[in-house]
Amino acid sequence: MTEVLLEAKAVSKRFGGVVALKNIDLVQHRGETLGMIGPNGSGKTTFVNLISGHTRLSSGSIAFDHVSLAGKNPSQVAKAGLTRTYQAVRVFGELTVRENVATALVDARVRLGAEAVDELADWLRISHRYEARAGGLTLMEQRQLELLMRLVQQPKLMMLDEPVGGLSSSEVRTMIGLLSELKSRCTVFVIEHTMKVIRELADKVVVLMAGEKLAEGSPTDILADQRVIDRYLGTADA
Amino acid sequence: MTQSFKTGGRIQGHSANLLLLAGFAIVAFVLPIALSGNRYLAFVAGVTMIHILWACGMNLLYGYTGLMPLMFAGIAGISAYTVVDLTANGWSFWLALPVGALAASITGTVLGLPSLRLKGFYFTLCSLVIQTVMTLGFIYFSGLTNGDTGFSQIPLPSLRGEPLSSLSYDLVLAAAAVLGVMVLIAIMRSTLGRRLIAIREDDELAAMLGINVTGYKMIAFFVGSLFAGVGGALYAPYIGFISPRSFDVLISMNIWLMVAFGGRGTIWGPVLGAALLAPLSFFLQEYYTIKDVLYGALIIAVIVLMPAGLLGSLGRTPRLPAAEIDAPVPRRSPK
Amino acid sequence: MSNANLIILLSTISTGLILGAIFSLVAVGVTIVYGSIWMPNAANGQFFLLAALFGWTMTVSWGLHPAIAAVLVIGLSVPLSYALEFVLIRRFYDVPNRNISYFVLSLGITQILAGIFAFTYGQWSDQFQLPPLIGGITFIGPLPVANNRLLVLVLALAILAALFALLRYHRYGRAIRAVFQNRDAAALRGVNVKASYSLSFALGNAVIFAGGILFALAYSFDLTIAWTMSITAFAIMIIGGPGSVLGAFIVGMVFGFTQAAVSTVASPTIAAFSYLGAMLLILLFKPSGLFAR
Repeated sequence: MTEVLLEAKAVSKRFGGVVALKNIDLVQHRGETLGMIGPNGSGKTTFVNLISGHTRLSSGSIAFDHVSLAGKNPSQVAKAGLTRTYQAVRVFGELTVRENVATALVDARVRLGAEAVDELADWLRISHRYEARAGGLTLMEQRQLELLMRLVQQPKLMMLDEPVGGLSSSEVRTMIGLLSELKSRCTVFVIEHTMKVIRELADKVVVLMAGEKLAEGSPTDILADQRVIDRYLGTADA
Repeated sequence: MTQSFKTGGRIQGHSANLLLLAGFAIVAFVLPIALSGNRYLAFVAGVTMIHILWACGMNLLYGYTGLMPLMFAGIAGISAYTVVDLTANGWSFWLALPVGALAASITGTVLGLPSLRLKGFYFTLCSLVIQTVMTLGFIYFSGLTNGDTGFSQIPLPSLRGEPLSSLSYDLVLAAAAVLGVMVLIAIMRSTLGRRLIAIREDDELAAMLGINVTGYKMIAFFVGSLFAGVGGALYAPYIGFISPRSFDVLISMNIWLMVAFGGRGTIWGPVLGAALLAPLSFFLQEYYTIKDVLYGALIIAVIVLMPAGLLGSLGRTPRLPAAEIDAPVPRRSPK
Repeated sequence: MSNANLIILLSTISTGLILGAIFSLVAVGVTIVYGSIWMPNAANGQFFLLAALFGWTMTVSWGLHPAIAAVLVIGLSVPLSYALEFVLIRRFYDVPNRNISYFVLSLGITQILAGIFAFTYGQWSDQFQLPPLIGGITFIGPLPVANNRLLVLVLALAILAALFALLRYHRYGRAIRAVFQNRDAAALRGVNVKASYSLSFALGNAVIFAGGILFALAYSFDLTIAWTMSITAFAIMIIGGPGSVLGAFIVGMVFGFTQAAVSTVASPTIAAFSYLGAMLLILLFKPSGLFAR
């Protein structure tokens, strides 16, 4: 593999007396798609929140592209080239698609020209909706817009928090297709609570369980890992 | 059908805005001359110009950035008192005005800091408390403010040793209002406007897109308070009298109402709101109890019947109230 | 301790108790309404004043006995609350972030009522005084206290106690508290959420009215008391924790004593500054309040 892009060392998070994450170590290389799975409440979203600067670390360290993210707020993290999406899709609902994209361009790390924006929008199949109010789009279109707003910023790493949540099964297939093409545009970190999506996208899988790292390996290894099967995949949750 | 990102209208209606601006400028400058025979009406027009300036500042904060500061009048008061104190000590008004406006801006920026932690109702409540403390302060520090009595017979400023005529000062006020609208249009056409709107719509998402939410909220407070400050500085010598009541919570509410009634987040809504309501409150000055009842009823009407305001309701398709379901609301969160 | 100092101390304590009980009543009323329907009622001071002025009309103008007037005033709050709830309040029950709409709405109500009061009562008198419930004076050590004020104190505390009992033991109270905690869960358990909303609105306002009429029976007042009371009740609610009845009670008593103590040694402006300062600190650093539910 090539150089390390994201490196978390002994990352822990406590909320009051509750331990949400405990000593998580994790390495992601540039170009490598990392999947993170685990049941609801296992700390996946907390982990992304820590990296994107929405939540402060209790202990441990996170480095992105060889620079420590300690004490950085979300806008500084974004400026460093790390972006994320949210479990519940989030766009500026009162603004048009065009205005949403224009807003994403304002403080982008790299300013993208209009033609490159159009190319991305065409690829995401959303360019015919430029004038539509984002709040009036379907969930699938909002997810496409969400990806477009991130991609026009030319991120180095995109963290996707349950990118197919709430989509119909045919939309899920389309989205998985888009995401596997996305891998050639930037490095992808994807959170899901089932193996279904992860299996198709990820090069490496990390399994979180009650705030601890249970296992790490290729999708095939994980699916065969007896501890993972016993504690997670064998349960109804997966 | 595929569209291009670039060719689609940049910011729609900009030429209409410039046309309206030209129309507004003509009205603003012709009005004082046309009314120069009737001092009372000319005065009402002048006061309206100051309120248009204030409404633009409040609109920047409330309409475009989504912050509702009920301390706006107090910030204007800081500038008004500063200017009166400085001119009483021999300063030229034209030097005192920028100093007062800057004092208001800095005060406003500092008092806006709670908006970084508090959202929605909690920030508005906080600003109401700040406004109340400022009013108490205007009464309490009577060495600077002359307490409850306030200052009266504040002279009109002079230019090259000659006191300004009422007409020339009316034209100064018109220029201030036109300039205020121009600055607001310019801001909303710039990337600053995009950032402010993004913060209004969803500040967490805005931050994730690389927008420095803290910095731009402070900039919004600085600029909005500058509008308040310039208005406050111009107000004192025009009315000739200021007291803590000139800048209390009711005035803050009135300015908010002009913005909300006219249509927050539109350039011309608040201008219209100020143009309608400022003269109204002036004509009802003798019947201030009726004014209170009317304003109160108007506040309720805006909240209940037309949350987008006059121009907001005309210009856009009506917004559906978000999620008509029994969504659990995080009640304890300060957000 | 000299006799004079003892008198000052005792008088501060007795004033603190009465003011504290009344502050608590109003703040509890405000916090019940906020906790259930999420309405921060800035008009609470005007409601408080409305009760006091109604009491004045009934006793001074109509010559009713103050006890009858007090019962009538509190009773009157119920139809008034239901009418207001029906016309304005219930429109927002399903609106997200309705607390800001309610807040501005209540500021509108404040302005309307202030205008009406200035136009009516403001022209009739500057200072309003109600006849006492009972006459006579009791000596607490060297300090003479009017029996009337003692009775007001007992009544205020009794209403607070009854309120606690209602919220804890009665099924209406339990329904209100269930909605406080979780509207959806309460609905699933068969609580009629909307009905409990109107009930809590009426209950909260009745308690504010009770505070108003009791205050008027103990002290003379003028129209400026409304805004002072609004700010004070808000400060108590925020510091005690929005929606926390116990917090409102405890902080209300503390405020009563602070007011009494500060007024003897310094100016009322200082008291106001200190409330507002405390409220700002809590807002900034612990917005859930000291006694968060």
